[in-house]
Amino acid sequence: MTEAIVAKGLAKTYVGGVRAVDGVSFTVEEGEAFGFLGPNGAGKTTTVSMLTAGLRPTAGEAIVDGVDVFAHPSQIKQRIGLVFQESTSDNDLTGREHVELAAALYGVPRRETRSRVDSLLERMQLAEAADRLVKTYSGGMRRRLELAVGIVHDPRVLFLDEPTLGLDPQGRSGFWRYVKDLQKDHGLTVFVTTHYLDEADTSCDRLAIIDHGRIVALGSPSELKDRLGGDVVTVRPAREDPRIAATLQSVPGVLEVTAQDGGYRVKCGRGEELVPILVETCAREGFGLTGVSLKRPSLDEVFLELTGREYREDEGMTATDRAVRLAQVRNTFRGGRR
Amino acid sequence: MIRELGALTRRELLRLARNPQALFTSLLLPVLYLVLFGQAFNLQNLGSGRIPPAYFLAAFRGAPSYFSYFAPGMAGFVAVTATLFIGANVIFDRLFGSLKRISASPAGATAIFGSRLLAGSILPLGLAFLVLGLSDLLGHLGLSGLEVTASVTVVGAVEIVLAIVILSMMFASIFLAIGFGLEQPQTYFAVVNTINLPVLLTSAALYPWGTMPAWLQTVASYNPVTLAVNILRENLFAGAAAYYPYDPAIYLLGLLAWGLAMFGVAVALARRALGPRR
Repeated sequence: MTEAIVAKGLAKTYVGGVRAVDGVSFTVEEGEAFGFLGPNGAGKTTTVSMLTAGLRPTAGEAIVDGVDVFAHPSQIKQRIGLVFQESTSDNDLTGREHVELAAALYGVPRRETRSRVDSLLERMQLAEAADRLVKTYSGGMRRRLELAVGIVHDPRVLFLDEPTLGLDPQGRSGFWRYVKDLQKDHGLTVFVTTHYLDEADTSCDRLAIIDHGRIVALGSPSELKDRLGGDVVTVRPAREDPRIAATLQSVPGVLEVTAQDGGYRVKCGRGEELVPILVETCAREGFGLTGVSLKRPSLDEVFLELTGREYREDEGMTATDRAVRLAQVRNTFRGGRR
Repeated sequence: MIRELGALTRRELLRLARNPQALFTSLLLPVLYLVLFGQAFNLQNLGSGRIPPAYFLAAFRGAPSYFSYFAPGMAGFVAVTATLFIGANVIFDRLFGSLKRISASPAGATAIFGSRLLAGSILPLGLAFLVLGLSDLLGHLGLSGLEVTASVTVVGAVEIVLAIVILSMMFASIFLAIGFGLEQPQTYFAVVNTINLPVLLTSAALYPWGTMPAWLQTVASYNPVTLAVNILRENLFAGAAAYYPYDPAIYLLGLLAWGLAMFGVAVALARRALGPRR
């Protein structure tokens, strides 16, 4: 078997009619690191919740490690590791107690528990702090502890939901180093949601970009960047002139010109060859320039292209948040959670 | 299942032990009731010398004083109120994320529910027996205290322990189910108080039986707190059996029926709350 995750037409409509995920299909190969990118509220966490048997879909199917997620939720829970977006550790337990509890809940054989807990704590550089209460841990230590808890039972597939949210750059790169090591040593399949694009670029073998509940692009980071059609040259004229766009567009090799923030974004194949030509053309036509810059495509550019905006910062409650909140309020009065 | 139950119970107990302030605040209420309320309401002081003792004996169903009648009632009352925090902990665990981590594991709803029930019932049990002990001690300090006039048999002692165990587990089940069903601590406390207070005020835990109107006596005789407290009072006071229509064993069966029913409902609700969301 080479497919670790298969999602077919997964969809979720929350009570209240909000369609958080709108029919997503993709496969993740065994041993692959697969990134799931999208702006806040795009449907990332909802998709993870469905793939990890935490949420029933409205439609579609999901197979993880060869098991139908919705037919056998408890088998799925045994086979996967899950690191949540938010901290889930208890302040008044020690790091060791957390890992030991997870080992018991996931049925790690008793005689192996001690050595496995010790080696995991060692690996996550938590051995010294193992017997300290978690309330004394830094953000990075907490994340590493969550990772240790998530993999204590040697899962086949590891789901990471925004695992580095709120960590400083050192914490983020450190966290990824542990994940990459695990992937290398155990052939672990990693499914990660994130909106840190640099992280996705360097750490994932393939990516899916999701927006408004639909997958808008799927491929390796370099494929996605290539899809942009190459480089972007930004030309900043000294004065606005309606003829500039047409002039830039007429230069051979220019693929597309779009006005942006008082300048022009020029998409082209090989930017370094085009820059002198663009400057020369503008000079000839009498357009003074205040700046020209060349940018190799980044995932940010891919994002801009596909989602029509820079990735969104928190804009208050997302649609999913609102729908979940609404369902919670309803259930409060109904006295149960559905 | 047993291993999960053990591990989760250990987690609950560790957290309880590391938050001793919760223990101290739980102690405050019963101590105030015994040292102030119980002393001030010792009703037979009103009629000493003028009202025949037999009158009081009937009003207090065989207990030699109001305080003696009140102390077992207080033990029942404490067993109920000390279970309130069990349900609140579920809500806080959900808010702080740890419930999410535990319910993502293969541990079943029965282990998750059962561990909270086991660990959560230890405090109410301890407090109920502490109330009985403290009530007895007060009598030796020159204050109104609990006078045990019967010689308590082994069977009687077992009945007393079972009564408190079943009562606290029953209310722990109810409050746990509410905790699993609700999201917000404010809503939780609003809901449990609308249950807690009416249950106590329709029981015979605090009122002298003789001052209760007949309709309230009827309502109270089916109340689980009354059933538990009856078992204690019948066993602690000589001749009390004459004032109760049934033996303690019968009350114990009634209490058990209440307990099983509430446990069943609570497990079903917890299973629904811990399963995949819809």
